[in-house]
Amino acid sequence: MKKFLNKPEDFVEEMLEGIYAAHPEVTHVADDLHCFVTANPVPGKVGIVTGGGSGHLPLFLGYVGDGMLDGAGVGGVFQSPSSDQILEVTKHVDQGAGVLYLYGNYSGDIMNFDLAGELAEVDDIETATVVGNDDVASSKPGEEHKRRGVAGIVFLYKVAGAAAAEMKPLAEVVRLTEKAKARTRTMGVALTPCIVPEVGKPSFTLGEDEMEIGMGIHGEPGITRKTLEPADAVVDEMLERIFAEQDYAAGDEVAIIVNGLGATPMEELYIFYRRISQLFAERNVSVAQVWIGEFATSMEMAGASISVLHLDDELKPLIARGATTPFFKHIAK
Amino acid sequence: MTMDAKALPDLFNRYRDRFAAEKQALIELDGKVGDSDLGLTMAKGFTAAAAALEEKAPETLADGMKTAGAAIAKAAPSTMGTLMATGFLRGAKALDGVDVMDTAALADFWAAFRDGIAQRGKAQLGDKTVLDVLHPMAETIAAQAQAGASPAEASRAAAQAAKEALEATKDMEAQHGKAAAFGEKSKGIQDAGGTVACILIEETSAAFGA
Repeated sequence: MKKFLNKPEDFVEEMLEGIYAAHPEVTHVADDLHCFVTANPVPGKVGIVTGGGSGHLPLFLGYVGDGMLDGAGVGGVFQSPSSDQILEVTKHVDQGAGVLYLYGNYSGDIMNFDLAGELAEVDDIETATVVGNDDVASSKPGEEHKRRGVAGIVFLYKVAGAAAAEMKPLAEVVRLTEKAKARTRTMGVALTPCIVPEVGKPSFTLGEDEMEIGMGIHGEPGITRKTLEPADAVVDEMLERIFAEQDYAAGDEVAIIVNGLGATPMEELYIFYRRISQLFAERNVSVAQVWIGEFATSMEMAGASISVLHLDDELKPLIARGATTPFFKHIAK
Repeated sequence: MTMDAKALPDLFNRYRDRFAAEKQALIELDGKVGDSDLGLTMAKGFTAAAAALEEKAPETLADGMKTAGAAIAKAAPSTMGTLMATGFLRGAKALDGVDVMDTAALADFWAAFRDGIAQRGKAQLGDKTVLDVLHPMAETIAAQAQAGASPAEASRAAAQAAKEALEATKDMEAQHGKAAAFGEKSKGIQDAGGTVACILIEETSAAFGA
């Protein structure tokens, strides 16, 4: 293992201390670094809380800020935050309009967010839940509820955050977020594994010339493992699966995220996007918004994912709205 | 005896003392097929629950169970802590408007406790989990309530059913959670989560003077 750290067991806390030192617009509550909240709550606005394991920056806490989220429960590396940490964040971000829990489809996170919601109810805070499940590779069509949440959740953050910023009520924020969820798909590909600091070695290996299509952001098994192919062929295979699930008609619009998993250079992501843009152009589908960079990583894993949100008249302006967080800046169009 | 809100601190003091006494045994039991934190988290969770009820005397049974559940969630952020917290919170809902715990209320409480844990933990019967003890326990109390038994009789019968159900988990192969990785090797060992359920009903039964 070759990482910049002091002690492996201090990895998450010291990362958090660095973030708080760099970004005074975020802070923590309940005397717990893991209870991450905006320093500038908006009175009367629906609060949006996310959370999950560390090791995925900018996920999850990186999207707490203006026009996006209000708080995040921060777990250990690849571990869920506790229900109590989520509850403390919930109490802090509730501004009387209720709180949306928006996070990825992982059993530990579901258990803790659901319990936090029950505890919040005891404190008379209304909560609702939308669980991101955009990873096409993790289960077949018809079993979407089993799919993992990956980079596509950033679209859900954007839509939910914009809807809440427009002071829409909780039920409406939920409806719009559910709509974005139904229209978001992601496919990923991994080239090398990642190393959890306290473990010290990779949890799996990939051959020097191999790639795994559909691998999860914790190294969960994907669809196929095979010899690495030219970038265009890899993109073709990934998008074929996304095209198979959504009815993209000529004249439709999409938003796209090309996401690096941690160790893949921007150059390669743009080589991906070159081919992605060609495939959408062939279908006469226009790309209204594209974000290219690191949005949901897996430590030092090399690889990339492509997320597509099939826009409509309601979702497009919410995606276009401005947002500013420590890790995500979008100027309104 | 009967149980009302005033009796809840005593009930949780019993739970606390018993889990403190069984801490080491639970650590060893869980250590065979898990990460051996069960003894610690249960001791911590029920110590916190008892302290919370001592600190603020509950006005109703439902209030007290809610307070206990929230305290466990905070003090024991493990899977079993989360499940126990869920059980008490769901049980609390079943006790809304109940002043004195009669057998029917006791049956409703444990049925809600079981259903909450089943829903949150997503285990199936036979997976060798806490559910394999909670289910026969709750069913026994329901049958006793039907038959017109007192809470003391019902909880004593449930404790007996729990003991037998716990013994039966020895023949099961773990299918759920961390223990599932041990598969065949989990056979012959009684389930640690089931042991927790057994302790709860034994102490409940004792609180009713059974």
